[in-house]
Amino acid sequence: MVEISRRTFIKATAATGTTLAASKVLFETVDSVAQAEALTLAPTEDRVFTTCWIGKQDCGMSARRIDGRVVKFDGVDDHPRNRGTLCPKGQAQIASIYDPHRVKTPLVRTNAKGVPGEWRRASWDEALELVAAKYREVAADDPKLVLWQKGRSKAKSFYDKAFVKAIGATKLGHGAYCSDTGYRAIEYTVGLHGVLHPDLLNAKYVLSWGWNITNAGGNKFCWLTWPQQMVQAREQNGLKIVQIDPRLRPAGPFADEWVPIRPAGDLALALALCHELIRQGFLDRPYLTTYTNAPYLVGEDGLFLRETVGEGDEAEEVPLVWDEATRRAVPVTEATSPALEGEYTVGGQTAKTAFELFTEHVADATPEWAADKCDVAPDTIRRIATEYGTNARIGATTVVDGVEVPYRPVGIMAYHMAQQELGFPALRAMAIIPMLVGAWGAVGGQLADFTWKIHKNYAKFEDLKVEEPPYDFVLNKSKFFPINTGFPGIVARVMQDPAKYGVEKLPRMVILHMVNPVTSFASQADFLASYEKFEFVAVISPWMSETADLFADVVLPSATIEKYEGPLSAGDGYIDAKALRMPPMDPLFESRGEIDIYLDLTEKMGKLTGEGGYIEHLNKELKLAGTEFELPDGSRPDVRDIFDRWAKMEGLSGIDFFEQNGVWVKGPISPTKRYGYVTDPPFGGAVHRLYGESLLKAQRLQKEMGADEVYWRDYTPFPTWRTPTMEASPPEYDLYLISYKLVEHKQSRTSMVPLLTELSGHQRVEMNPATARRLGLKEGDEVTVESHHALTGETRRVKTVVRLTEGIRPDVVGMPHHFGMWTHPANKDAGPTPNTLYFTDEGYVGMTADAVFHVKVRVMKGGGAA
Amino acid sequence: MPTRDMRQPLPMGVGSLTRGWAAVLALGVVGTVVGIVGYAVERTQGMVATGMRDLGTMQGATWGIYIALVVYFVGVSFAGITVAALIRLFRLDKLRGVARMAEVLTVVALILGALAIIVDLGQPVRGVINLFRYARPQSPFFGTFSLVISGYLFASLVYLYLTARRDAAVLARRPSRLQGFFRLWAAGYEDTPEQRARDRRVTFWLALAILPLLVIAHSSLGFVFGLQVGRPGWFGTLQAPAFVVLAGVSGVGHIIVLAAIVRKALGLERRIGRDAFGWLGLFLLGLLATYLYFVVVEVLTIIYQPGVIEQRLSEALLSGTYAWLFWGSVATLVVPFLILAWMALTRTWRVGWLVTSGILVNLGAIGKRYLIVVPSQTHGQLLPYGVGSYTPSLVELAVTVGLFSLGAVLITLFMKVFPIVDLETEASTELEEVSA
Amino acid sequence: MAIDLDRCQGCRACVEACKIENNTPSAVFWMYVFRLEEGTYPDTSISFLPRPCQHCHNPPCVKVCPTGARFHRDDGIVLTDFDRCIGCRYCEVACPYGVNFFNWRKPEQAFADYQLKMDDPDLAAVTGGLIPPYRNPDLDELQGDEQRRTAGSAHYKGVVEKCTFCVQRVEKGLDPACVVTCPVEALVFGDLEDPNSPVSTYLRGRDQFKLLEELGTDPSVIYVGGTPPTPDAREIERPMTGVGNANA
Ligand SMILES: Nc1nc2c(c(=O)[nH]1)N[C@H]1C(S)=C(S)[C@@H](COP(=O)(O)OP(=O)(O)OC[C@H]3O[C@@H](n4cnc5c(=O)[nH]c(N)nc54)[C@H](O)[C@@H]3O)O[C@H]1N2
Ligand SMILES: Nc1nc2c(c(=O)[nH]1)N[C@H]1C(S)=C(S)[C@@H](COP(=O)(O)OP(=O)(O)OC[C@H]3O[C@@H](n4cnc5c(=O)[nH]c(N)nc54)[C@H](O)[C@@H]3O)O[C@H]1N2
Ligand code: SF4
Ligand code: SF4
Ligand code: SF4
Ligand code: SF4
Ligand code: SF4
Ligand SMILES: [Mo]
Repeated sequence: MVEISRRTFIKATAATGTTLAASKVLFETVDSVAQAEALTLAPTEDRVFTTCWIGKQDCGMSARRIDGRVVKFDGVDDHPRNRGTLCPKGQAQIASIYDPHRVKTPLVRTNAKGVPGEWRRASWDEALELVAAKYREVAADDPKLVLWQKGRSKAKSFYDKAFVKAIGATKLGHGAYCSDTGYRAIEYTVGLHGVLHPDLLNAKYVLSWGWNITNAGGNKFCWLTWPQQMVQAREQNGLKIVQIDPRLRPAGPFADEWVPIRPAGDLALALALCHELIRQGFLDRPYLTTYTNAPYLVGEDGLFLRETVGEGDEAEEVPLVWDEATRRAVPVTEATSPALEGEYTVGGQTAKTAFELFTEHVADATPEWAADKCDVAPDTIRRIATEYGTNARIGATTVVDGVEVPYRPVGIMAYHMAQQELGFPALRAMAIIPMLVGAWGAVGGQLADFTWKIHKNYAKFEDLKVEEPPYDFVLNKSKFFPINTGFPGIVARVMQDPAKYGVEKLPRMVILHMVNPVTSFASQADFLASYEKFEFVAVISPWMSETADLFADVVLPSATIEKYEGPLSAGDGYIDAKALRMPPMDPLFESRGEIDIYLDLTEKMGKLTGEGGYIEHLNKELKLAGTEFELPDGSRPDVRDIFDRWAKMEGLSGIDFFEQNGVWVKGPISPTKRYGYVTDPPFGGAVHRLYGESLLKAQRLQKEMGADEVYWRDYTPFPTWRTPTMEASPPEYDLYLISYKLVEHKQSRTSMVPLLTELSGHQRVEMNPATARRLGLKEGDEVTVESHHALTGETRRVKTVVRLTEGIRPDVVGMPHHFGMWTHPANKDAGPTPNTLYFTDEGYVGMTADAVFHVKVRVMKGGGAA
Repeated sequence: MPTRDMRQPLPMGVGSLTRGWAAVLALGVVGTVVGIVGYAVERTQGMVATGMRDLGTMQGATWGIYIALVVYFVGVSFAGITVAALIRLFRLDKLRGVARMAEVLTVVALILGALAIIVDLGQPVRGVINLFRYARPQSPFFGTFSLVISGYLFASLVYLYLTARRDAAVLARRPSRLQGFFRLWAAGYEDTPEQRARDRRVTFWLALAILPLLVIAHSSLGFVFGLQVGRPGWFGTLQAPAFVVLAGVSGVGHIIVLAAIVRKALGLERRIGRDAFGWLGLFLLGLLATYLYFVVVEVLTIIYQPGVIEQRLSEALLSGTYAWLFWGSVATLVVPFLILAWMALTRTWRVGWLVTSGILVNLGAIGKRYLIVVPSQTHGQLLPYGVGSYTPSLVELAVTVGLFSLGAVLITLFMKVFPIVDLETEASTELEEVSA
Repeated sequence: MAIDLDRCQGCRACVEACKIENNTPSAVFWMYVFRLEEGTYPDTSISFLPRPCQHCHNPPCVKVCPTGARFHRDDGIVLTDFDRCIGCRYCEVACPYGVNFFNWRKPEQAFADYQLKMDDPDLAAVTGGLIPPYRNPDLDELQGDEQRRTAGSAHYKGVVEKCTFCVQRVEKGLDPACVVTCPVEALVFGDLEDPNSPVSTYLRGRDQFKLLEELGTDPSVIYVGGTPPTPDAREIERPMTGVGNANA
């Protein structure tokens, strides 16, 4: 590039100035986009590595910079998750960095709460001190009454966990809205922390069960890794996809078959598939008898027959199985050939194997029975069972990297669809399908995580704690939710009526990090009512969230992508890798990265150093403790240095490794980690729970403590169908409202990015044209959507516009997430959030205290009849 | 308005400023100013001030009323010059009285057509330059705009100049404030028989030459639409002849209106007699009959269009979005046809009814031009963009008003500086007689 | 360019990449991706169709341009010379693919639709007042042997613009922005005349079609893995395409 000195440039400009002025008039070249003079001087160009700040899989990005200004993000070629590519949101975040509507300085509220905020700019020092002072006051009473709440997490949450631990606060996540009911079901059933995904690159037949393929994440990923693998599997293995979803759009052209299931009918369909697989004999007996509790003998009381094995400290109650070889009941640890089926008399009582009971349990769950509930034709159910069973190739094995592994190229992908009232039992039943054919942990088969690391909940759920009140405000170990995810929606209910839940102490202050409960979470009405009750609300956010607008006392501006975060997992399930988010430019305006903010806060709170301080917890969470790279206690660390130490601890040269390479590719994940059959021990040592004995025990305790039926009815050892609560709404509420993601948006955090609102800028209610005809509606009509609470009769309304699609069931309408904000001019008039319509109290939560994105509604033209 | 000195009044109201004239002029000026303001808004805000938008994702029409007006004005000019040329070529003496009018009309319509193009350009100044600087004659319409239409404008100006030279020479002999102007126009022309013969020859050949030029200009107009493979509705073999005939309809309509006004204003009941109107009426009737035949054929063809997109377009035209305009335009053509036919049968040519017909057919013609330009864009997308829409904005309407007003101003002004009607028919008059 | 409909997810990342690389104002989609639906419930099918400029070998837009502003380079790229264009929009009506965009107003105003207050003093301190803040300096370069000004810097009021095949990148040996970002490599770029180019190898032995082939425009964008949209295809999930107050 030619170097032009500034002086020459100016001279040249002057000389040509006159000529230009004349030619400008004549040739009208005047109206081009503003060009800064700097641009015409030779700019310096470079690239810096970072990761996507929008989505949950943190795709690797390289930022192209001109004179230090980022002009474009591109994917990092070596990053296993995105391989040089980016999705529309990843691209568009360039516009959000420069958003002049970001919160630029710390803000302190000057008006009353509950109405849109008025603010004055404050110094960091003042704002931090306000938060710290309130913390000291509340902590003097009980630090647990300080609530720290986070939304869709980014990166390994080491620095925030350390913060919560250092200050002794209560923590709430977003998971109860995000598939946690599915996580709990899978942790319970196979011990893995995840919902359901297939070994996609090797699969041949996949039930895409509410997987929003062309828009959203599915299990574990944000988005684009799955489509990449799906495309590859289709081209290389002829992968077939069956889309089980009320809508066709999720799989779009990639649906080889669309099964438009009735919302919340999933449990019935899953049970019928189990029925058919058993009837058609698609059973992997060796797997079932070896790795699951299917052969365990269940006594008349519904509990396993047990026998004490070992002596003294070693003594253990071990479940019994029927040993075919010796024809007697023996502890499972001693059996050589456990019977899968049958009824036996053991010690005077009749006992059946768990599998025998399951066969009986699903005996009536015929395709005809299920068709009535999920509205899928019996023949379709039978055929899918046959196809699934056939494709499973029970008994086949294959060799991967020199290791022989069972080969069952069938799988299920399910994730956010788990957020339904019967989500936990439905996901349990869906997990039993691959169990029957032995597809769990097989090549091409069923996975739920990338390795077979058993989650601590697996053991915890063996013995569910149900205690007497009083309870903490999250209702842990309560008679209401023996398995409790920590549901902000229920906390909001508890705050409105603590006596009802046997709660004595309510939270007094809340620190919100990357979460916007008022619009992202249901039910909006409950958040509006409960947030008023906080004495103090501090919000850490780059934008003025709606929650902050109404309730914050202090807003601390965090940086967006211009900060350090990590370490981030960067693997794609087949290749292991790690990355860091590094700032492509200095934090804009007066914003700061969250780690800096927490260092600031703990310093002010007096919790930075010393025993139990932030630094100690940082060392623990990052596993630096005890190594030569440990952060020295006593002084405030530099954020870059924290990651430098971590990188060195990992054996790298330091953070410069990431600055130069963008991603640390560790190499392929060994089959002995990925496939459960060949891990050591197999399946991480977890026995797969066909029979949920501890659920039954919990139910009995709940009953003993006088819990209402709504709380205990789903704690059943086998997933058991009942009619969802919403079905009791009167017939005029004739439509199911469901919700989902759009590929152009990420939750609510992109709804102000103009490049994205341009693509998908307005809320809509999606509807089948036949439904529209029946209601006298057409595309673009303004309508009122009214939801109905089947138990309380409460109704709620929003106004939006109609969008027609033939790819949706006529009895279903859908409204995506992402809208309903009002503080940012770019999305002010974008229409409502469906979260106004959803309920989150009894009947509309899962048995594990998780949100339900289902409700019955009616749609009325215009403002709706009075 | 009294003149300052007692010089002789000029014929045909030239130079004498009457109240009615002033009123018409004032109205025209007001309208022109409206147009200028409209255009100023368009220039400062950008063409976002119009109702036009991009084809495709923006679902608009990128050509709107301006282009419809271009087609319309060029059509009018075509008819004007044709009528004038026919009158002179075939010495239709009864119509001599309207020949000059037709010539003026041609020049004015061409100016307006050119202006209508300019107002449609995103870069007008650049347009005026680049259209010549980089002119590509291969490009129908705009390439031809720069060459043919400007050449055509030049030719008609020359034609007007030559055919009026004799009158100029006559007037140049009289003392008047405009004497100098007439001298300039006459440019030494003395109306000697040789000169007269020479001029007659030149005008004859010029008239003959203008006609093919016209055909080229108009074919290229037809090509603008007809050659567009990607715009359903824009081609068809009838496009070109229908274009020409409708041009005739609107042009003759204009001449009738103009002639009636001039006749009334200047008291020329003798010079422009009823029989002249009769001729014009018959002419218009003939053209209308032909055109209506085309309309019937058009309707039949579009009903039986093949292609789904074509059918969508026909639906929009015949029974959808544009139906009111389509049938409205047809009505404004059928009604005058009936009026004219009735008058032709009864042989009573009423000027009032003729004027009504003249106005109606022009409304119809503008409507039809609009229907050529717009629906193929909004309803003729070949990729599944969905149906578009276009409504002219206030700015476009203002500019439209401005263009028509400017036309009125130009003609009104012309009337006061030069006889809008030939001074006397050649056959019966000598120069001396006139001055007597 | 080859476009594989068997892979396309309809995600519109290519649309965004194009907008950012070429700094196009709001409501302008040099690259556009149709999301289409056919049939009635439950026999419904969905398809996606990316649509850049087709860079026709026999481009009607070039033929009609009165000033030669729209031109066809030897390497097959069809470009607009922004210094010549008079804004007659004839190319736009002549193009059957709807890929042309006119600058209906000053680009600053067009960008104002992005709601980024460009005159924000705090922002100007960081970006030097550039519009948009991520303005790409490459667009100011003159392209090709003729050194014409062709790419997106010229979002001039009153002229027409469209996909340039990212000429500013291609001339540096880079693939177009849309191609690079596509998560599933549904877009493949290269020299169709070179039998060994990636795009030629990609196409070999696969069923192909071109959009509106019957019109004789001979596009240099070739589709594989799908079928042309039928006239019954309905567009779903259309983006916001209004400009200014009208039509919005
Ligand atoms: N109707 C409906 N509701 C849903 C869903 C649905 O499908 N439909 N999905 C649910 C699911 S799966 C999830 S995971 C949740 C997610 O819900 P949330 O986690 O609440 O949503 P986000 O949009 O990720 O985050 C919201 C807030 O984070 C702030 N923020 C953005 N970036 C940063 C940052 O870098 N630092 C900080 N400190 N703050 C930042 C934003 O300003 C915004 O206020 O939503 C749930 N809600
Ligand atoms: N573009 C984009 N990508 C994202 C996100 C985002 O906000 N935007 N969010 C990320 C996050 S936090 C998450 S949790 C994941 C979620 O990833 P997914 O789970 O794949 O995505 P959702 O859109 O929540 O999917 C809900 C699907 O379930 C269907 N559904 C609704 N009710 C039922 C039912 O009763 N039965 C069945 N079978 N199906 C039903 C809906 O039609 C929809 O297709 O996506 C991640 N990726
Ligand atoms: S898939 Fe998610 S993480 Fe990756 S670029 Fe898109 S938004 Fe970012
Ligand atoms: S980026 Fe690729 S997958 Fe996404 S819409 Fe464009 S071509 Fe299709
Ligand atoms: S697609 Fe349209 S703009 Fe592009 S080359 Fe072809 S005709 Fe021209
Ligand atoms: S708008 Fe510009 S590029 Fe298009 S035809 Fe007119 S002058 Fe040519
Ligand atoms: S090739 Fe470049 S200009 Fe054309 S659509 Fe792709 S990104 Fe846009
Ligand atoms: Mo989520």
